[in-house]
Amino acid sequence: MDLFLQTALNGLVLGGIFSLAAVGFSLIFGVIGIVNLTHGVFVVAGAYLALVLHDSFGIDPLIGVLPIGAVLFAVGYAYQRTIIHWAVSRASVEASLVVTFGMAMVFRNLLQLWFGPDVQAITPSYGFQSVAIGEIRIDVVRLAALGASMVILLALALMLARTHFGRAMRAVAQQPLAASLCGLDVRRIFGLTFGMSAALAGASGAIIGIVQPFSAATEVAWTLNAFVVVVLGGIGSPAGALIGGLLLGLINAFTAQYVGPALTQAMMFLVLVGMLLLRPQGILGAAYGETR
Amino acid sequence: MTRPAHPLAVFAALVAAVAVALAPEALGPFHIRVLQFFFFSAALATAWNLLGGYAGYWSFGHMAFIGIGAFAAAHYAMAFGGGGAGPASMIAPVAVGALSAGGVALVIAYPLLRLRGIYFAIAMLGVSQIAAELTNNVGALKGGIGVFLPSPTPAGMPPERFFYYLFAVLLGLCLLIAWAIRRTRFGYALLAIREDEDTAMMLGVATERWKIAAFVLSATLTGTAGAIYGYSLGYFTTYSVFRLDFSLNMIVFCLIGGIGTLWGPTIGAALLLFLTQVLLSRFLDVHLMITGALVVATVLLMPGGILRAVGELPRLRPKREGGT
Repeated sequence: MDLFLQTALNGLVLGGIFSLAAVGFSLIFGVIGIVNLTHGVFVVAGAYLALVLHDSFGIDPLIGVLPIGAVLFAVGYAYQRTIIHWAVSRASVEASLVVTFGMAMVFRNLLQLWFGPDVQAITPSYGFQSVAIGEIRIDVVRLAALGASMVILLALALMLARTHFGRAMRAVAQQPLAASLCGLDVRRIFGLTFGMSAALAGASGAIIGIVQPFSAATEVAWTLNAFVVVVLGGIGSPAGALIGGLLLGLINAFTAQYVGPALTQAMMFLVLVGMLLLRPQGILGAAYGETR
Repeated sequence: MTRPAHPLAVFAALVAAVAVALAPEALGPFHIRVLQFFFFSAALATAWNLLGGYAGYWSFGHMAFIGIGAFAAAHYAMAFGGGGAGPASMIAPVAVGALSAGGVALVIAYPLLRLRGIYFAIAMLGVSQIAAELTNNVGALKGGIGVFLPSPTPAGMPPERFFYYLFAVLLGLCLLIAWAIRRTRFGYALLAIREDEDTAMMLGVATERWKIAAFVLSATLTGTAGAIYGYSLGYFTTYSVFRLDFSLNMIVFCLIGGIGTLWGPTIGAALLLFLTQVLLSRFLDVHLMITGALVVATVLLMPGGILRAVGELPRLRPKREGGT
């Protein structure tokens, strides 16, 4: 029983991080309708920035989340306003899939050239402590990572529901044309959505850095994870990302514990394919507006 | 429905065949190997193009069929022997590899082809991951420790030259099939599916059946290429045939050359391989960046690929992605 509970807890903690890593991807997918295959690169870039901040300036990754988010926000905004915008306006929405894929290759190569191909990890001062609840143990880093993820997700959900910008974003997601007729600057909102998505990815990367080892090559896995989370939970909402992420975390943990650690990917995609066939809109369905 | 081939095209094809047959006489082993890899890649891209280019169903997981073809061939050859020596020993195992890939495709075709656009692409990626992990972890499949295929090279012939010819024939076969399909009812049905599947269905095109046929055919050709590739390796483990970069390269070659055209995949493969394997062979560090930048530049500057940009063909707009 303890093993079961421990596995479930590990899965939930992992899932919380998956959720944060995927929510930005989900926003872009929901609002702009673009599958951003560069997403994983933003996550890994966030982890590398956190590593630099931690090793060179002694800044804890959980505090580093703020400057990293700001930097990646700027990168994401500029990226959408230039390359993504060109791809969508000159070719098609599908072309953006290919363009983001090509850009992911370029960015990954750049990261490899700057930081080397080695696997890195961030070890904060509290890296080896753990908390015990009865027989169940949990690392402090994982707890901190989970807490930070939940705070950021909650802030995002509140922003989407309560602020003018959040409402504008949802309006653009539903009907870009109608939204622009109502006086919203759709292009600016697309840019800001992309920036926010990149910022969230970078923040999740900083948090991932203290929990898991990373290298430039892991970006593919983070992009795929984000896609799976979005398909499981439903497109475009923080709640969908949270549910999808937690589910993916549980699937990972239980497969590794009871089926075999080598089969987690296979199980993940099996669930994904099953989900696509049985309930393609995800558990929470279309969060707002039409399904695309 | 079928039109006869243009005499000039037939002549060009004959000239090309003679050039390919004579080229090894003038080239060193390194360049023969590069050309061999080019034929292999172009054949794969052409096979992918049957489904991805003609029907508009982009598979991100065609490496699954390479792996299935290679492993099925190896297991058949290890269990029953090839039957005969030299090149003849390849026939049965390669056929088994091709049919296994086609068989797997036939089984998964019905559920998977209900998905469209990006969902189909990612589901195929999932299938290829599952296939690779199962091959690697199920003991009987021996993906972890590796499998052997006996050398089929006839005595006195350098192996790179033998496989050079083999892959050249395979590419010729793929191109012939792609060319033939394009001018039959089958080809028109696939194009109709790409342009607007719902309308095509409404107009009486048996979309389901044609899609499955294209998928199985594409997988069978990919499986054939995989089995021969297995022979050219001799010994291989899971991740020497289930390679993600194979899946991606097929798409990139088609995209750069001109997706959905007959010669696009071959031209894309030739261009990119020449660039990375010959011109930039000393700068391994930046291959990824160059490939990525080329892909981005192609889509931004000539969204139809080189062939459409050069030929000024009327651009066939891919239909908007319709979710599932």
